[in-house]
Amino acid sequence: MPSSPDRAVRTPVLGAFLEGWRRVLRAPALAAGVMGATFLFALPMAAVVHRSMATHLGSSLEAESAAAGWNAGWATEFDATATGLSRTFTFEILGFGATLATVSRFVDNEPLNPALAWAIAAYIALWVFMSGGILDRLARSRPVRAGAFFSACGTYFFRFLRLAVVTGAAYWSLFRWLHPFLFGTLYNRWTRDMTEERDAIALRAGLYLVFFLAMAFVNLVADFAKVRAVVEDRRSMLSALSSSLRFIRRRFFRTTGLYLLNLAGALIVARLWYASAPSATAAPWLALLVAQVYLLLRIWGRLAFMASETVFFQGELAHANYAAAPEPVWPESPAAEAMRKLTD
Amino acid sequence: MARWGIASPAVLPVIAVVALATPAPLARVSQEAATTASPRNASYQINATLDPVKNEILATGRLNWRNITRNPVSALRFHLYWNAWRDSRSSWMREQALVRGRSLARRPAEDFGGIDVTVLATGGRNLVTNAKFIAPDDGNADDRTLLAVPLDTPIAAGESLELELGWTARIPRTFARTGRLGSYYFIAQWFPKIGVLTDGGWNAHQFHAATEFFSDFGGYDVTLTVPPGWTVGATGKLASTEAGNAGGTRHRFVQADVHDFAWTTGPDFVEHRERFEEPGLPPVEMRLLLQREHAGQESRHFRATRAALKYYGTWFGPYPYEQITIVDPVTVFNPASQGESTGGMEYPTLFTAGTRWWPSVEGTQPEAVTVHEAGHQFWYGLVATNEVENAWMDEGLNTYATARVMDQNEAFPNGFVATGRYFGGLAGWAYTDVRWSRGIDGNRLNAFRPMASYDAQSTPTWQYWPGSAGAITYNKTALWLATLERMIGWDATRAILGVHFKRGAYRHPTPEEFFAIAAEVYNKDLSWFFDAVYRASATFDYGVAQVTSESTPAGFIHTIVVRRYGDGVFPTPVRVTCGDTIRLLFWNGAERWKAFEVRDAAPVTKVEVDPDRVLMLDVNYTNNSWAAHPRTADAAGKWAMRWLTWVQEVLLTYAFFA
Repeated sequence: MPSSPDRAVRTPVLGAFLEGWRRVLRAPALAAGVMGATFLFALPMAAVVHRSMATHLGSSLEAESAAAGWNAGWATEFDATATGLSRTFTFEILGFGATLATVSRFVDNEPLNPALAWAIAAYIALWVFMSGGILDRLARSRPVRAGAFFSACGTYFFRFLRLAVVTGAAYWSLFRWLHPFLFGTLYNRWTRDMTEERDAIALRAGLYLVFFLAMAFVNLVADFAKVRAVVEDRRSMLSALSSSLRFIRRRFFRTTGLYLLNLAGALIVARLWYASAPSATAAPWLALLVAQVYLLLRIWGRLAFMASETVFFQGELAHANYAAAPEPVWPESPAAEAMRKLTD
Repeated sequence: MARWGIASPAVLPVIAVVALATPAPLARVSQEAATTASPRNASYQINATLDPVKNEILATGRLNWRNITRNPVSALRFHLYWNAWRDSRSSWMREQALVRGRSLARRPAEDFGGIDVTVLATGGRNLVTNAKFIAPDDGNADDRTLLAVPLDTPIAAGESLELELGWTARIPRTFARTGRLGSYYFIAQWFPKIGVLTDGGWNAHQFHAATEFFSDFGGYDVTLTVPPGWTVGATGKLASTEAGNAGGTRHRFVQADVHDFAWTTGPDFVEHRERFEEPGLPPVEMRLLLQREHAGQESRHFRATRAALKYYGTWFGPYPYEQITIVDPVTVFNPASQGESTGGMEYPTLFTAGTRWWPSVEGTQPEAVTVHEAGHQFWYGLVATNEVENAWMDEGLNTYATARVMDQNEAFPNGFVATGRYFGGLAGWAYTDVRWSRGIDGNRLNAFRPMASYDAQSTPTWQYWPGSAGAITYNKTALWLATLERMIGWDATRAILGVHFKRGAYRHPTPEEFFAIAAEVYNKDLSWFFDAVYRASATFDYGVAQVTSESTPAGFIHTIVVRRYGDGVFPTPVRVTCGDTIRLLFWNGAERWKAFEVRDAAPVTKVEVDPDRVLMLDVNYTNNSWAAHPRTADAAGKWAMRWLTWVQEVLLTYAFFA
């Protein structure tokens, strides 16, 4: 009696995790590219903030102490007059506290600076664009040229955009309905007569866990939908989503285990950042370097997330390094074609 | 029209004379000791029983009141503060709604409280029947926080009245640090409190959102019956504890020369005691009622209280009572459901501090709130100014003094840093790069800046815009006191505050008395200063507008234009550095702009308006200076790079789920 493929092949979670990291480490251009894209995306915004700071400081002597370390007096005066992105320049950009503050704002669904919110939306669109190329590269596990990478980005962009609409709606629903229910209705009800803060901390931690699980589930489904879209060259994102759901349902513990393993990797990176985050008095270039290394590790971690899920899927329902679609080729321009004909 | 000033080595010494930089010799002001006793004209004897099931207090009592004015009085006025929380129509609630919306009004009905007076009797006649609620401040007919009680017979000057009291108080879920949360009870402003009669009539206002209290001194003898096993902390000294009739325990507290009585009770306090001893100051028993979950933080509370008693005592005058009770309240970590904050409030010989289960080791709490509330014992508790009309005389002076105590390395050798609170406010994080500074943080410049001109401080406090009352009351005062200190020196400032404390103790001094003391002590007219900072709502902002230089065979002619960007006027020096030569130019600060011409062989390298930052009210100090070779590029580059990495991280965080 023939056995079903998922019973016949059981990809070890740890193996997929390690193979994911191996694939990412063997594709340094990928991490460098994402890093570079993120850096270049943020650079114009930093230039805007730089200009506002320089304008506010003018020829002031306050620049002396601001250049040496955190000049709280100047920083708050700057904040009082700043507009747009520059309003986000507070001491909460410093060190590991900045990481905590960012995560806290995210999980507490605090309103974002409007300019920053638009930037995040645009960056997410960039991720959606890059995801196809990244997954294609990771699925094939062999070097591709830039043309092929961007061709894959283009091939999958509109598919992933459609997918993003669906997953975005799911995330929106979680923040619109589940978040207020957990942190409004339930938290308020259960803390109304609570007199010990540590009980509230435990309660809130539990609610964060519930919310995180919901977010992670949507994330997991979306991730495997993208993996299936690339590995199986699926065009219907609804079918990719339903296939992803089926895939996860049949391997619930292993897929979530893989997710948690990847998450543990991210926590290790965060712990390293906690230990090494530069102080306000650190030399600017050194601080930049250390922070960029941390960000690179985070990007590596995110890519390893995608890679390990790809490896896991290929191990379960396909085979290693399999991708159904032929390797994308960047289309030649009419001028190049004409020249080739001439030389032929 | 602006004026030109010429300053060159030929016409000015290297250091110009700045009038304010030369302190006048302090006048030999009488350093009499503080009055040792109050008029004791409003004394209460109260028997109260807490019913934790109904959340009610049943109380009876007796008020001995003496008319210490020169005029007879034919009606009494009583504050019934808890009626501010009877419903959403009180003036307190309406004023809160102006700033905070209707969130308080939407609280469940069970959260509200109130006080019903059943007995106000003298000579066997209950005056309650003729009493009526009045609203002299805003005419709000729904406000029940001020009760007028006509008397059958006027009370002549110097005569006394004995009044039997009976009332029921329904304990609200915490409003304004008062009320209940779980089995924690903090009971303040809970009895019919007689107003302050002056020669000009009753000085008794309704209860307003932005103000606190004002009352006369007396003796309090209060017996409180609470469930057995519960700890009680209260104003005064514990005289006895005994079993009560209905299964409760009776705690009797007695204290003379105070103007209020507050208490707390609950089953979860852990009691600690230490003794304050400092040469030259009377010893004080410190009693700390700590929440069980804050175990380990007792030393932080005691150290801060000790610092307040020591420095306030040394600088202004000794704390005269034998004991002080520090109450660590239940933490309100979710005001949306639990109720308003429980922390940080002062009452005679007792105050609430406030800390967190996860406080930052280097953060300013609980130290700042503890020093501040302990410090109130001196201003609110003893000088007892009118907090409804001149709240700055308590809160402002105390904010300034708190910052000064916090800045004492001897008391807090590790200093403090900025903290952020995250994840629903439950987790604290210390930003060790951002050191707490007395000038900016202690005097709360950043909170003052956006509200600098919202109200003239001389406006009665209850008429301030409720949203900015704190900034004008606490922060502006602290900033102008810091300005005064930098202008006339700490010795003179301390002497002014010290004389104010000694002369004002138990007397309710007015702002004009304070200003008169300042002029008397400093031996110079300071009315221009108080006109600028107290009687006006002006914003101060001076800056360097432009610096140009012309090269001549004899050297350089530098033209320096300084500007007054704000409407506030304050004389200020301008320091000009040319090579090794430093000139201090005087500017009265009145013109909108002023141009100085400076001749020097060397190029100008620095120009600074108010170089020593005397004017702490200046809302923009960045524009006060100019440098020929500023490090703007370094600073902006450094922080733009930091911001760059921050925004990259934000992008990656939010895109994780993409």
